[in-house]
Amino acid sequence: MYLESRRTFLKGTALTVAGAAIAKGVFTVDAAAESVKESKFTNTPDSLSFYPPQDQWNHFQELDGVDWKRGGIDRHGVQSENNPDGIYVNDYMIVPTACSNCEASCGLTAWIDKKTFTVKKYMGNPFHTGSRGRNCAKGYAVQSQMYDPDRIPFPLKRAPGSKRGEGKWIRTTWDEAMTTIGKKMADTIRKGDLLSRKSVMYHVGRPNENGFVPQVWETLGLDSYNSHTNICSSNGRTPTIWTANDDRTSPDWANAKLIFLNSSHAADAGHYFAQSAAFIADARKKGAKMVVMDPRMSNSAGMSDLWIAAWPGTEAAIYLYLANRILNENMTDKKFVKKWFNWETLMNDSEHLNFMLEKGQITKLPADRSFESYIELLKDMYAPYTLDYAVKETHVPAYKLEKLYEMFIWAGDAISTYIWRAAAAGNRGAWMGGRAAYFCIGLRGAIGTEGGTFFHHWHVISVSGKGGSATVGQGISGADVPKVQAWNELTWPPEWPLSTYEMSYLLPHLLSDTAWQKKWNDRGLTVPSKLAVWIPRMYNPVWINPDGFRWIEVLKDESKMELTMNLSPVWSETNWYMDYVLPVGLAGERHDQHSEATFPARWSTFRQPVLRVALEKSGWKPKNPARATLEAHIKAGLGEVWEENEFWFQLCTDFIDPDGSLGIKKMWESKRHPGKTVTIAEWYDAAFGDNLPKLKETATNDPRFMNEEFPVYSYLREYGFWMEEDKIYHAMERELKMEDGEVISHGHKFDAGSMSVGAGGIIKALDHNGKEKSIGVEIDGKKMEGFATLSKKLEFYTQWATDWKWREYAMPFYPRNEDEKNQYVHLVSHVNHKYMTEENSFALNTVFRLPYNIHTRSANSKHLMEISQNHDPIWISTGDAKRLGFKRGDAIRVRIVDTVSGLESGHFVAMAVPTEGVLPGTLACSHHGGRWKLTNAVTIPNGVTDGKVAPGVAPRDLGNKEFLAESPANVGKVGGQSIIDDYEGTTGLNSFGVPVAEIQMDGKVGKLKYVEGIKPFHTERFADYNRDSGNIWWDGLSGSWQNAVAAPHPDPVSGMHCWHHKVLLEPAQAGDKIGDIFVNYDNNLKVYQAWRDTLTRGLDSNSTLRRPRHIKRPWVNLDPSVYEVNIKS
Amino acid sequence: MDEIIARSNLYALLSRILLQELDVERLEILRSDAIVLEFMPHWRDWELREDTDAQKLLEEYLNPDFTNLSLLHLVPYETFYTRSDQMIETGGANPVTDIYSAYDFLVDYEVARVVSSDHIGIEMEFMHHLCEAQLKATEEGDQEAVQELIRVQYEFLNTHLLRWAPMYLINMKYESRTPLYYDTAEMALEFILSDNETLSGLVQA
Repeated sequence: MYLESRRTFLKGTALTVAGAAIAKGVFTVDAAAESVKESKFTNTPDSLSFYPPQDQWNHFQELDGVDWKRGGIDRHGVQSENNPDGIYVNDYMIVPTACSNCEASCGLTAWIDKKTFTVKKYMGNPFHTGSRGRNCAKGYAVQSQMYDPDRIPFPLKRAPGSKRGEGKWIRTTWDEAMTTIGKKMADTIRKGDLLSRKSVMYHVGRPNENGFVPQVWETLGLDSYNSHTNICSSNGRTPTIWTANDDRTSPDWANAKLIFLNSSHAADAGHYFAQSAAFIADARKKGAKMVVMDPRMSNSAGMSDLWIAAWPGTEAAIYLYLANRILNENMTDKKFVKKWFNWETLMNDSEHLNFMLEKGQITKLPADRSFESYIELLKDMYAPYTLDYAVKETHVPAYKLEKLYEMFIWAGDAISTYIWRAAAAGNRGAWMGGRAAYFCIGLRGAIGTEGGTFFHHWHVISVSGKGGSATVGQGISGADVPKVQAWNELTWPPEWPLSTYEMSYLLPHLLSDTAWQKKWNDRGLTVPSKLAVWIPRMYNPVWINPDGFRWIEVLKDESKMELTMNLSPVWSETNWYMDYVLPVGLAGERHDQHSEATFPARWSTFRQPVLRVALEKSGWKPKNPARATLEAHIKAGLGEVWEENEFWFQLCTDFIDPDGSLGIKKMWESKRHPGKTVTIAEWYDAAFGDNLPKLKETATNDPRFMNEEFPVYSYLREYGFWMEEDKIYHAMERELKMEDGEVISHGHKFDAGSMSVGAGGIIKALDHNGKEKSIGVEIDGKKMEGFATLSKKLEFYTQWATDWKWREYAMPFYPRNEDEKNQYVHLVSHVNHKYMTEENSFALNTVFRLPYNIHTRSANSKHLMEISQNHDPIWISTGDAKRLGFKRGDAIRVRIVDTVSGLESGHFVAMAVPTEGVLPGTLACSHHGGRWKLTNAVTIPNGVTDGKVAPGVAPRDLGNKEFLAESPANVGKVGGQSIIDDYEGTTGLNSFGVPVAEIQMDGKVGKLKYVEGIKPFHTERFADYNRDSGNIWWDGLSGSWQNAVAAPHPDPVSGMHCWHHKVLLEPAQAGDKIGDIFVNYDNNLKVYQAWRDTLTRGLDSNSTLRRPRHIKRPWVNLDPSVYEVNIKS
Repeated sequence: MDEIIARSNLYALLSRILLQELDVERLEILRSDAIVLEFMPHWRDWELREDTDAQKLLEEYLNPDFTNLSLLHLVPYETFYTRSDQMIETGGANPVTDIYSAYDFLVDYEVARVVSSDHIGIEMEFMHHLCEAQLKATEEGDQEAVQELIRVQYEFLNTHLLRWAPMYLINMKYESRTPLYYDTAEMALEFILSDNETLSGLVQA
């Protein structure tokens, strides 16, 4: 048949039209095909690894993504002269930097297209051994933030004649701003009196650097470096300080058998999320189990092996239940406990043992002072923490607690935990939860082990402020900088001598509370009643801090805050009330040394302004080396966006102390080029090189860098990362190192000749100032560094607590019955179930992050706003919702009531979402919702009356010699204002993430109501990156600004603002809309005063010190004399 | 020589009909070419073929049928038949693109209007081009190239078209609602099977 057919088909020859004319002709064999042949690209990638070898980073070609996903080069070929329609080939320079969106400092690489001099994408940095080339959504979002159409294009100044908050702005120059601010700072500093050293305040939200700005404040001689920490993590740090005198936990997730999370932190949000989550995944792959303790079913809880939903603030009861069983079932690692617990201190303290007996903490005194008697004492003390007790207090079912114990024992000494926010940040007294956690982990010997839990200072590098040898005046690592001679009561008030960090969220209250100021002035202190200059950075206290209306009141008051400026690349609620908003760079636009304890190693990133680095590597030189980053960003079209390092260098040398009379200029004057401001390369080459010997050795022996002027800086510029030390375990057992007559402990040097061993094996020696310090401990004849505590051991008996009036909390403890709850109220959460007396009362859990949002800093990212939708309802258990008649989507009034004063703060209106994912009786609503702005856009003309300068003539192209040869002149000066690309004078305010609201406030009562949600828009600025801004589909209206309703709740010990609230739920009333808030901020002031007056144990006429000397006071080095105090009766 | 011209023409003819809706110009060829009509007897005998306005014939009869056969109801892509998950491979992993690339052929998707290069019309047009190349080599007396091109055609036919096109064409024949596409399906099926015999003989020789 087919042979016949074949004969038939031969007739095809006789078609009237040739085949070529009939065929469609879908193939091209022209330039497109040739273009592929001539390129290095193949149809399918050879590998899915996206990290080119480092030696190709300066020149790496990659096809543009647009067509690649639809058939790649098969579609149009590769773009070339002969094939102009082909796929664009990006000719990249890859520059390493580090993310700055959260605190983890994961590695990033900016992929800079040379032909357009733009960052086409941010990827991971494969050399970063913590993030290992990976990033979370926030890392990749850096690009959308860089090309945010609403980013602040130039320095802004409140319009003359207008009041703060009116929203009238003019463009100013960096020079004008620095002149005004520098003069005000200088005038204040020049007074030289005590008050002046407390009146120029820097107030940082997310530092994301290790010591640079603190060093600036130290050279200024000021005790006014302020941080956000007490709204963040103080209750998480306090247990670490009391136990190990360290700042925070440092887990070894990757090698753990039990991942014991006391929140959703680590695995799905919060601290070091991306790195931690990846290490946790590694561990689980190897068989590790994960327990998540959280009243809310977070993403982590949802994928855990065991979810423990404990009543907020009762977590200590669970840890002590574990301790009871470990001790009484003889599962204690006695070898570790005997070696590293300070049991001898307790057993030798008869007075305290008697106190414990008297208080009923133990039932009998120990038979003798032996270790075995110590163990018997612990068994006695913790025996009351039974399963029944724990179930009743925590509301966790018995089977879960028993399962937890099984897992805890199964994991041996490989239990990793992280004590940070969540319970600690939410509840009064929750610092004891962390302490109890360390206690039961310590009983199992899981401290410092592989897979265990350790402490921060061994795993971090802090050298950012130590570039002193590059300057005329600071000396090596800042050794010659005078110690600060002041103690600022606005940041370290006398009521909270043990506060972990500054009481920063009380700043407006302390400035408003004239009675408080008078009280302490009358008693001999010098309390500021105003600030000459207030400088927030990456911080938005109006929105994020409790009692936001109080912040607005004080910020608007020019008699309390005389001059204010925010170093901020984006708009914020706080910026709206500033005198100046100065745009400094985001993650890929600034220099920082940044290290965090994400795994048992010492590593640091080197954050860089990537476009500047690309320019310099291509041969460009700035006209003004002191403003190189500013010039580079203008060249790149970002606007007059600078960075803080250069800003502070030059503010000190040229604007605060231009003639050197204050002694500040020389601190930031280049040693290499006297008279000039120190440069970035000089500073960081010294900061890293003087303090990280392995890095220095590597860089100076590498043929690529050894002949460079700044080899260490050059190394970091290429890699963006360095790991000085890996696999740091059992570091407390390190033997003291002797070197040239000196003994080294914890990185500090002491006189070896003065070394002596005293009681408890404690080794003492003299420091460089001739002061005797405890430097180590001798155990079994071995001289070791030990922990940073006074006893050099883990202090589960904190003897010094007695000196500071907290004797009853010297041991891990939690009230065992209702009577004790009244007696030990400082350890009882203000939202404990005992306070839930009304049918509609609940404990509101506020302290969790919306996974893709970053506190106040994500509203400028289209990418993050789209995937999170800024969505923030109130979670309520299905049973509670049914009981109260609430359905999904209902608006409900959430009234906040204080359980100390009984006062009501007001209410917010939220959207109900009934769920099985929250513990009955508790609610969850993240305090990261409810951003607002008062107007959709502001108009600030592009440039001033004259002097609009084009940023350049040559097209932006790193391969173009003319482009590299030119640089804008007079940047930051009058007449040097550059034209901002595609900016016509009007800009939106966080158009992707912040809806418009109206606020009313009268000094006592405040209200907010949203009037317009987020809408699609069109932008010309960075249009190519934002061409989908017309597709916005979310309105951002599901959250409430609940922080403003919240009254400050200062923990009496740690100073932490305890975020949770007792709330009463009601149906919304007529006219209520989701997002509405009503605040009685007059009451909020009284709530703060009630917590202060009822709960704290501050300094008094018997006090001789403001704070224990051995507990670190962060940031600036204080002269030892300022710790001394004399309080009048 | 006749054989290669005939094969080239028929691959071109079939590829065009199977690739896209017809245009008026090509419809006129199909309506009038005696050889075509001899190949397609039902089409030849269809009463609407001769007298209906070309545009009307396309819009009301032929194009709806084509849409049904190649876009809506049936799937004229190789990977649909050869992948276990029946997904069309539109990316670089499509099995035919590397072969096209090896001979410097690149599908112009703007012209082809297909989602991937393993469409039956594309594969048939590729065969047409190979035939044209063979014809050129024959005219130039390059026997080595001729043999090589015969081998390539044989391999492509066996590795690709014959592995799946019969299934599509049989379905097409039964689903078609106009004589043109009915005859095209039958003719195409017969032709590729026949061509395989032709090429088998040539390769063995």
